[in-house]
Amino acid sequence: MSMLRGFLVLVLFFILGESVRLLLALPVSGGVLGMVVITFTLMLKGSVSDDLALASQGLISVLVLLIMPGVVGVFFTADQFSGQWLAVAAALLVGTFLSVLTTLVLMKLVTTRGVSDRE
Amino acid sequence: MSELLIRFQALPDTLATTPILAIGLTLGAFFVGNWLFSRVGRPLWLPPVVLSACLLSGVIAILAVDYHDYQQGARWLTVLLGPATVALGIPLYQQMHHIRAMWRPIVVTLPIAATMAAVYAVVIGWALGATPEVLASLAPKSVTAPIAIGITEQLGGSVPLMMGGLLITGVVATLFVDLLARLLPVTDERILGFALGLNGHAIGTARAFEISHTAGAFASLGMGLTGVFTALMLPLVFRL
Repeated sequence: MSMLRGFLVLVLFFILGESVRLLLALPVSGGVLGMVVITFTLMLKGSVSDDLALASQGLISVLVLLIMPGVVGVFFTADQFSGQWLAVAAALLVGTFLSVLTTLVLMKLVTTRGVSDRE
Repeated sequence: MSELLIRFQALPDTLATTPILAIGLTLGAFFVGNWLFSRVGRPLWLPPVVLSACLLSGVIAILAVDYHDYQQGARWLTVLLGPATVALGIPLYQQMHHIRAMWRPIVVTLPIAATMAAVYAVVIGWALGATPEVLASLAPKSVTAPIAIGITEQLGGSVPLMMGGLLITGVVATLFVDLLARLLPVTDERILGFALGLNGHAIGTARAFEISHTAGAFASLGMGLTGVFTALMLPLVFRL
C-alpha cells in the first residue's frame, strides 16, 4: 500500500513534467522535467517520505526490465543501419576513450589545484 | 492430430495479440539473465542486461513473434520508464551533501565532460559518414537509459540503435576507467566513481559500487547530473 502511495507521487510528478513540456513546447522529455522538479521540491521540503523512497527504490531496481524491450530492438532493426557500422563502432570506442580521459584529467586538475598536493 | 499441430504452431501469434505474452517473455528473460550472470561469475564485460536481451531476442526469433507485436505488448512495461525517470531524482536529492562537499570540481568538470562525451561521438561518427539519424542515436550514449530514450525520441534518432550504443559505451567506459586510472595515475575514489557514472551511466555505477560505497555514491551523482545536463543541453543544441 505505502509503495503504491509513493508510486502515485512519482506518476503525478511525471504528469506534471509532461504537461509543462507540452504547454511550453520544450524539447526535453517529461520524465526529466519531473525529475528536476521533484529534486527541487525535496530540497525545499528538506526530507523524503518513506513511501516515496520505497517506490523509487523499487522502480530503479527494475530499470533493466523496463529498458529490455528497447535493447531487443537492436537485433531486429540492425540491417537498417548496414554500411555505418564502422562509424558507429569508432564513435563508441574512440569517443568513450577520449571522454573518460577528459573527465579524469579535468577532475584531477581541479581537485589538486584547490587542495595542496599531498605527494 | 495434424489439426492440433497447426493450432500449436499458431499459438505464439494468437497469444501475441494480448500484451501478456510480451510481459511474460520479458520478465522471464530478466530473471534467467540475472541468474546466468551470477552463475558465470559476474563478469565486468557482460552485464546482465546484455544476457537478458540476447535471451529475449532468441526466444522472440524462435517463436516467430512479430517484433512490432512484441513492442506493442511490452508498452505495458515501457510506460513505467516515465515515473522511473522521475524516481532518479530521489537518490540525487539524498546525495546532495556530496554535491555540496565537492561542488567546485563538479561544477567545472561536469558541463565540459558531459558535452565532450556527446561531441566526440557525433564528430567521429560524422567524419566517418554516419547519417543524421545515426548521429542522433549516438549523441546520448553516456546518458542513463530512461533519460536517453527521451532524448533520442526528441532528436529523431533510433531508440534500438541508441540502446545498443549505450550498452557498449557502459562496458568500454568501465574498462577504460580501470586502464586510465592506472596510467595517469588517479587513485581518488571519488574521481573514479564520478568518471564511471558520467561516462558509463548505470553500468559504470554498478562497477563503482564494487570499488567502494563512496565511489558508488559519486557514480550515481555523475550519472544523474550527466543525465539532467545532457537532456537539457542536447535538444537545444541539435535544434540549431
